[in-house]
Amino acid sequence: MTGNGSEPLLEARNVVQEFVVRGHGGVKGGVVQAVSDVSLDVRAGETLGIVGETGSGKSTLARSLLQAPRPKSGSVTLRGTELVGLRGRALLEARRSMQMVFQDPFGSLDPKWRVQDIVEEPLIAYGVGSREERRTRVREVLDRVGLDADVFARRRPRQLSGGQAQRVAIARALTLDPALIICDEAVSSLDVLIQAQVLNLFEQLRDELGLSYLFIAHDLALVKQVSDRVAVMYLGKLAEIGPAEALYREPLHPYTVALLASIPSPDPTAPKTEADKAISGDPPSPIDPPSGCRFRTRCPRAQERCAVEEPPLRELRTEHAVACHFPVERSANGR
Amino acid sequence: MGAQLPDAEAQIPAALALAPAAGEPISRRRGWIHSLDVVIPGAILAFLLFLFFVWPLIGPVGKPTGGNILNSNIEPFSQGHLFGTDPVGNDIWSRILYGGRSSIEIALAVQLIGLVIGGSFGAFAGYWGGVLDLVLMRVLDVLIAFPALVLALAIAQSLGPSKFHTILALTFFSVPAFARISRAATLRLRERTFILAARLSGTGSPRILARHVAPNILPQLVTFGLLGMGVIIILEGALSFFGLGIPPPNPSWGNMIFDGQGILSAEPRLVLVPSAFLFVTVLSFNLLGDALRSRWSAV
Amino acid sequence: MSEGTTPVEVDARVEDGSANGGALLELRDLRVDFRTGGRHVRAVDRLSYAISAGRTLALIGESGSGKTVSSRAVMGLLPPTATVSGSIRFEGQELVGLSDRQMRRLRGAGIAMVFQDPSRSLNPTMRVGAQVIEAVRTHSGLDRGAARRRAVELLTLVRLPLPEQRYHEYPHQLSGGMRQRVVVAIALASNPRLLIADEATTALDVTTQAQIMELLRDLQRQFGMALIMISHDLGLAASFADEVVVMYAGRAVEQAPTHTLFAHVRMPYTKALLEAIPRVERPPHARLPVVPGRPPDLAALPPGCPFEPRCPNRQDLCRESDPPLSEGEPGHRWACWFPCGQEGAE
Repeated sequence: MTGNGSEPLLEARNVVQEFVVRGHGGVKGGVVQAVSDVSLDVRAGETLGIVGETGSGKSTLARSLLQAPRPKSGSVTLRGTELVGLRGRALLEARRSMQMVFQDPFGSLDPKWRVQDIVEEPLIAYGVGSREERRTRVREVLDRVGLDADVFARRRPRQLSGGQAQRVAIARALTLDPALIICDEAVSSLDVLIQAQVLNLFEQLRDELGLSYLFIAHDLALVKQVSDRVAVMYLGKLAEIGPAEALYREPLHPYTVALLASIPSPDPTAPKTEADKAISGDPPSPIDPPSGCRFRTRCPRAQERCAVEEPPLRELRTEHAVACHFPVERSANGR
Repeated sequence: MGAQLPDAEAQIPAALALAPAAGEPISRRRGWIHSLDVVIPGAILAFLLFLFFVWPLIGPVGKPTGGNILNSNIEPFSQGHLFGTDPVGNDIWSRILYGGRSSIEIALAVQLIGLVIGGSFGAFAGYWGGVLDLVLMRVLDVLIAFPALVLALAIAQSLGPSKFHTILALTFFSVPAFARISRAATLRLRERTFILAARLSGTGSPRILARHVAPNILPQLVTFGLLGMGVIIILEGALSFFGLGIPPPNPSWGNMIFDGQGILSAEPRLVLVPSAFLFVTVLSFNLLGDALRSRWSAV
Repeated sequence: MSEGTTPVEVDARVEDGSANGGALLELRDLRVDFRTGGRHVRAVDRLSYAISAGRTLALIGESGSGKTVSSRAVMGLLPPTATVSGSIRFEGQELVGLSDRQMRRLRGAGIAMVFQDPSRSLNPTMRVGAQVIEAVRTHSGLDRGAARRRAVELLTLVRLPLPEQRYHEYPHQLSGGMRQRVVVAIALASNPRLLIADEATTALDVTTQAQIMELLRDLQRQFGMALIMISHDLGLAASFADEVVVMYAGRAVEQAPTHTLFAHVRMPYTKALLEAIPRVERPPHARLPVVPGRPPDLAALPPGCPFEPRCPNRQDLCRESDPPLSEGEPGHRWACWFPCGQEGAE
């Protein structure tokens, strides 16, 4: 498996990201606390899943890790090199081992470019190899993602299907031989069967190339299936983080419990979504998050302490940490 | 946000999409008959361009100036004078052609300068924002606040009538217009994921502007340019009408109309013929620009 | 311009649809063709199903399966390039061939539809309350005061928190889940007998999705509405539908009551869909059983079974001959020469 105890590949510490919301006429309206003091590691060879709903900050976190834009504060270390504070060439070099695949397969490809140019772009930007060598690498990488270079190299994005376009995006991410790929809802826009194909591709690449992934999605089942460890985010904060199996079998945070309970099971004989575990209401606004624990307004277990004191992330079991004053004990049916 | 499926509504046109299979070129998918909205104005324009630029070189076209007063006011359809002559003895047909050539040359020059300079500045402002954007926007605000014709007249007046000065005066109109369009298009484009992907791939801003932004905003700028051709031609006509454009005796549709307005009731053709050509030319540019815009914005 | 309360005057109007054998909506051999620029696409091919009051039918399929087009056909919302043939009977009345005017009276009154993206379904420049009132007054003759009360009533019915306050707000001030509730309220304004939910929860968070589905189900019980849920999510169908119709390349490839379908999946495509769904129970890094290829080009369908190129069970017969949808077991129809679970096949 993973985690050989050595230096993590990616270390994020106390990352904070905020956005200023402009009111009418450019007046400062409010500050969106998109990511508030998030710390996590991605180890070599592992897949860390990040799951969260709208406003959880998971996508913002991903972009902050890539310094696009820089986090307001905090530290992001890739292979020992601090990324925050780097600019220009230095940032490019330091960031080279980390690439991203986006949600919209067509949106992330320039509609006017051909596939081979799209895939070649990182090589040109980093000045890798001669023209010949670049072309060879492009063919190689297209082959890896299951696209026949002879057929696809000269196509434009509008001549591709959703699955093919996403493969091109993945190929582009692979050209520089990265160590870590951040997948930001990379399969959420794909049809179910195509989604399965692309997921298998991710696993295959993981086996063949020893890639690590930061896999972001809103679908807990999906995330759990591809990840070694899973982090659950709520309104900019980490609610829980732990090994995928443990998180599923013994969720500690009430929010995780609610997420698990909301997943419709493709088994009509299974009990319907458990009403007692499901949560009510809608996520509060990230501009004005609740005091103390941000989940308390929807939490069935909330008490006075939750409004006053923000729960810190504590490791309750091995490798399994939760930010809650009253974490859930093992439930009777263990789902 | 939860899962976003490819928009179900898009599936209906997607099933009919022109996205061809393996490498088949788009042009073959639709017969020309489906592109009549482009073909017809395009053909008219091609014909007009031929008339103005090629025909005088190869065909029997008289001189537009230096007419003999003995030849004045010859009837149309007379020998050698398709539309007759004007009061000074110049062949109207020839003046129409040479005037048309001037008009289009000027309009083309103005739009090209506008596209290149205005388009570039707009794109820079849109992409980088900040102080550059702020300054540019204020400058544009000032320029756009002037009615185009008044501005052009003022500049032409101070410079004196000549083809070159006309072009200069009219660029004060086209450059801000293009800059505004280009800035808006770039702002929209900047948020697209593939721009972010390009930055993350390590591509620098100049290259992003040249290879990603420019090709994607160009269709919009081109259609804007086509639609603006008509406006520029008319503006030039107006300048010439006021004697501030093409200096007489060189022909321009504008100064031909000016010359003819005095004897409108006696010899209406002196006004009507250049007006008709003006109308058809401007209309064709507009139709073509419009047709291309609806095509290209659908992508 | 509000019309009177008169329901659509139809011939052979039936009470409770009982004279129809209980079916509120019945599709028979529905075909939808699109013709433009010389290309002909059959988006829906011989679709037949029936739904009764109080029941839920799930139309499951991926992009291009025809599920959305078929429901647009029911609502009469297809573009002019579409040709509809076959039969759609709502409460005994034939909908195919109705004029736009007649369809408009039916829409919202008898049949209402909820779409995927609530931010696209709501007018961003109108307050929420105004939009609900508009729907209320279109299908009833209530005056402003009564309509307003009814609007608030509806907003409360869909469990919108603080309905009186939300009434005065604009859509952008509401969250996605709240907007979708408003859309449901609008759909309910005229007491429709049939509600079509087209990917109504796809764009929502999973917790909100659960809430909206529960809401729809409760409303259905309360008003005896029939519900057609269109989705790509078989899991959702399993939890909420009474009957499932699986579509591929414009046609129904498997139809059965939910329990039957999930107990004995026959069509390899349905099986593939089931297996491709991410499951919490799977171990990490499990490889999914995957079906290669992608859906066929509807303009260039092969002569045989459309799923054949990707099917693990395929044989020569599948390429040559298109299997008909036939009732292999009571209540369970499928279109496959070599279905799963039968001799020889996987």
